[in-house]
Amino acid sequence: MISEIFNIEFFHPSAYYIIGGLLIPLLKGRIKQGFMLLLTLLAFFAVVNMPLGVYGIYEFLNWELTFGHVDKLSKVFAYIFTIMGVIGVIYSIHVKNDGEHLAAFYYIGGSLGVTFAGDFLTLFLFWEIMAFSSVFLVWYRKIPSSVDSGFRYLLWHVLGGLILFSGIMIQYSVSGDLSIQYLPFHGWWPTDLQSLATFLILIGFIINAAVPPLGAWLPDAYPAATVTGAVFMSAFTTKTAVYALIRVCAGSEILIVLGVVMAIYGVVYAVLENDVRRLLAYHIISQVGYMVAGVGLGTQMAINGVVAHAFCHILYKSLLFMGTGSVLYATGTAKLSELGGLYKTMPRTMIYTIIGGLAISAFPLFSGFVSKSMTLAAFSEEHYMWAFMCLMLASAGTFLHTGLKVPYFIWFGKDRGIKAKEPPWNMELAMIIGSLFCIGLGIFYKPLYALLPYPVHFEPYTAYHTWETLQLLLFTQLGFFLLLKKLWCANTISMDTDWFPRKGAKVFMWFINKPLASLEYNVIGECYEFIIQKPILRVASWFKWVDTVIVDRIFSEIANLTLMWSRKLQAIQSGQIQHYAMIMVAGVLTVIFIGIILP
Amino acid sequence: MNLIEIIDKLRTQKVKKFAYGLLVLLILVDFIIPRHEIHFFGDKIPGFWSVFGLISCALIIIVSKWIGQLWLMQDEDYYDK
Repeated sequence: MISEIFNIEFFHPSAYYIIGGLLIPLLKGRIKQGFMLLLTLLAFFAVVNMPLGVYGIYEFLNWELTFGHVDKLSKVFAYIFTIMGVIGVIYSIHVKNDGEHLAAFYYIGGSLGVTFAGDFLTLFLFWEIMAFSSVFLVWYRKIPSSVDSGFRYLLWHVLGGLILFSGIMIQYSVSGDLSIQYLPFHGWWPTDLQSLATFLILIGFIINAAVPPLGAWLPDAYPAATVTGAVFMSAFTTKTAVYALIRVCAGSEILIVLGVVMAIYGVVYAVLENDVRRLLAYHIISQVGYMVAGVGLGTQMAINGVVAHAFCHILYKSLLFMGTGSVLYATGTAKLSELGGLYKTMPRTMIYTIIGGLAISAFPLFSGFVSKSMTLAAFSEEHYMWAFMCLMLASAGTFLHTGLKVPYFIWFGKDRGIKAKEPPWNMELAMIIGSLFCIGLGIFYKPLYALLPYPVHFEPYTAYHTWETLQLLLFTQLGFFLLLKKLWCANTISMDTDWFPRKGAKVFMWFINKPLASLEYNVIGECYEFIIQKPILRVASWFKWVDTVIVDRIFSEIANLTLMWSRKLQAIQSGQIQHYAMIMVAGVLTVIFIGIILP
Repeated sequence: MNLIEIIDKLRTQKVKKFAYGLLVLLILVDFIIPRHEIHFFGDKIPGFWSVFGLISCALIIIVSKWIGQLWLMQDEDYYDK
């Protein structure tokens, strides 16, 4: 590809997305579609051909910016991001809105930029590109609730970005070095300046990883996004954050607790959720919980498990979002309370979605099984039994919702006689590719294991481990059918931690409009009038009196005097030359007379 | 036979009975399956994960719904009020 043509070792795959993407609005029809697909494939092959090493170092002011830090960890994430780029672009290739394509391209480019960043400043730059491009995937849905969700999404990410940036600045002032380093955070709160820097960087990362209580933006924004936008969003933001956490914060114990809480938190909310895409969004939180917990554990096996899980997760979660997105596309709704009986009209979409559901549930022979089990085994090996039990419980919950509840209530359940048909060919093709990956990785897992950052000494398909998983999942299924009546959904939403900012903003606005405005109007306004306005008016009226009565009178009196004298003088202005001569003679005589008399 | 017919064939009582049989088989085989590298006490007990799965499922549904109805679930226009 380009790197070979120009004989350069490293060609940044983001360039295809960020610079190449600019040409999309200039092209039309099939050529545009082909060009978009070509860009995504070129980016993928740029990653394939990429040698390990450090490239793309630029001097900027006093800093050294590194755009191409390539090691096994960054490469495996770049692989999955570029694969997801191909699948996502196929799924969305029919979309007419160029803005939406550009937003997706910049979003993917941003996540690849973060992946290869060698210093915190470069990371931050691409971090912000991701936030500001992905928000358009929400806004382009063009309904009022999406506009609101988009603004909330942006506010969360701006907050996260600022916290991250302040951490980076403190880190720079402490160490004088901006390169991305391994900075694990130990304990629960910062104790000195260095740990404050690490703490702030960690907070910046976990906001993007949607760790509660800072993760409510995710189930708010993703279901509000466009059909195709949500597919991209499900893949990049949280996994980029997981990558950053591995790079900087692996082994921070606080993450184990946060991750386990996340895994269960997502499952609990998924029970209550009526909107399918929001249910899946809560399951992103749950699945990222496994990853965050694994990063917190930080052993080689755990990190391998996390990376493998992120890899598989992007594929099955995007497949699930594609399947449910197709349902939204075909029926106009994503609410379980309005869906049912679709197996007669959309059976193929059902198959793909169930494959995604089985993969996320870690069913043997599906991709989740070979990745999730590695993280779980790492916990069991380190004897974190409470964490292990909680994560197993969350596994049951995952199958319960994504593997059972979602397919059951959309394709079976109550037949509502909805008229629908299978989605367009490109959407279906993307789902087929996703399904093949979900099954393929579950069977041929060795190539994936070879990509992982550390050597793998783990075999997922042992007899007992397979049996243990089958028992857990199939008895969950029994529980599902026994308690089916309890799972029917109503038109409700669930309060999340964004209750505080959302209701808080309402209270704030009420405070501004009611007490503060009336305080300003009734108290400060009155005080102003009595203390400043009235005295000033009084002084002004005194000046006016001085002006009219004294100053003006002086002038008018002078004028009157002048007028009077002029009139008197007028009497001697006869206009006859003899009179003037007489007056002149009289004047001269007077002067002479005075000259004689006075001395 | 198309996809819809296959799905309809699978939705019968016979398949349901077969599934229950499978569950029993799962527990029975767990008595004889070879175990290795045991780290967790539950791994020594036959059928542990079956019970764990069933209880987890029930726990998640019942506790979540309880918290939801008590507190978390609101009308869709909750934030607009």
